Amino acid sequence: MLQNKFTTLVLFLVSFSFMGIIFSQSAASATPDPTEQFRPFVKKVTDILVDPETKSISKNEKGQRILNVFRERFDFREMSKRVLGQQWRELNDRDQREFEDLFTRLLQYAYIGKIEDYSGQKVEFTQQRIKGERAEVQTLLVDKGKSIPISYIVLLRGDQWMAYDVVIEGVSLVRNYMEQFKEILSKDGYTGLVQQIRDKIAQIEKEQKQG
Amino acid sequence: MALAVLGFFDGARADDFLDDTSYDDQSVAVKTPDPIEPFNRAMFTFNDKVYVWVLDPVATGYSKVLPADIRGCIGNFFYNLGEPVRSANFLLQGRFGESGLTLSRFTINSIGGVFGLADAAADEFKIPRKRATFGQTLSVWGAGDGFYLVVPLLGPSTLRDFSGKMVEAVATSAYYPWNDDVETSVSVFSGQVVNDTSLHLGVYEDVKSMSFDPYVAFRNAYFQSRSKGGDNVLVPNPNFNVNR
Repeated sequence: MLQNKFTTLVLFLVSFSFMGIIFSQSAASATPDPTEQFRPFVKKVTDILVDPETKSISKNEKGQRILNVFRERFDFREMSKRVLGQQWRELNDRDQREFEDLFTRLLQYAYIGKIEDYSGQKVEFTQQRIKGERAEVQTLLVDKGKSIPISYIVLLRGDQWMAYDVVIEGVSLVRNYMEQFKEILSKDGYTGLVQQIRDKIAQIEKEQKQG
Repeated sequence: MALAVLGFFDGARADDFLDDTSYDDQSVAVKTPDPIEPFNRAMFTFNDKVYVWVLDPVATGYSKVLPADIRGCIGNFFYNLGEPVRSANFLLQGRFGESGLTLSRFTINSIGGVFGLADAAADEFKIPRKRATFGQTLSVWGAGDGFYLVVPLLGPSTLRDFSGKMVEAVATSAYYPWNDDVETSVSVFSGQVVNDTSLHLGVYEDVKSMSFDPYVAFRNAYFQSRSKGGDNVLVPNPNFNVNR
């Protein structure tokens, strides 16, 4: 009698643990781990930056190479959509594509050009938060005498987590540009905004050539 | 007060990046009014000049004399001195756990970190830095922001936060080791500013050069950074003095 009870218990436990395995596997396949997807991405970018071979190529080509890696993990269309807010919905397909292209170029010059100063600092993955189809991957750039928290705000596209915002020390890039764009839109309209972005890109391009 | 506390945490939640409403047009607009924008813009320009012509050259020279590691230690030392005030603010806000942790950070770092030169509490004990200001406390108690204010030499603030900062300055000076005279206090404060700046050289210029309207960009960054409540001195500089 006692043995019977024991067997039932064992059977119950075994089946229960199997269920556990099945459930955890199905959960894992449903949502891939965002940190695990961003780790190789960050490594790829830092590898390009410290590679002695890329030191010799032109700034523009290097920027292009890094941008290509960024495209694997960044959804520039989603970024453009968010940064324009209400205005995005009023644009036709062609204008949306044009704006996406322009905004991507702005980011390429403004930010991807800046990370060239990177010289082998450590990037730590500290934490992640998942909320449905969105997640935040938190990292820490550890430099001498200070460390800078950088978060990627990501969206699940199929089985890939794609970033649509970067938060540096608590300041969201998209939200910061959004407020600036909003002021320009109310003053000079959409055409004024497009012109100002073009001017900004030209200005940074000129500065980089001089520097 | 309970309502105010609830309101405070509600506000914090609305700024969650994973929440789509945080990207709404409405929430991006500055919730705190900026009625004295012309004055603020003038002060912004003044602070910008102070940074470009005075603070940046001084900090650059200083960074060439002292290695980054040592400057990091000096930064930690000053941060550690502010911990008791942060702990007291947490207490006043009813956040007892954080108050205790901040006080433990002070104890650990003052002893184990040798007068706070190292941040042993974060590195070894995994107790991260947490920000609490008297301006925050006033907000929990129900005081509104008033309006956005760019303070000469101190940078972005609001009427409430600036008042809070003044109260904190008095509170910290009560136990600072150099509270004998004004001249010493001012030179110690200047030293602290130069040291902080030396650790973030070039960042201010970078952010400025990427902005379409630097005034709006830094105002937005101030409010964003403050709502995240982290320890977020992006650029310790007159125009971007988020949290000192």
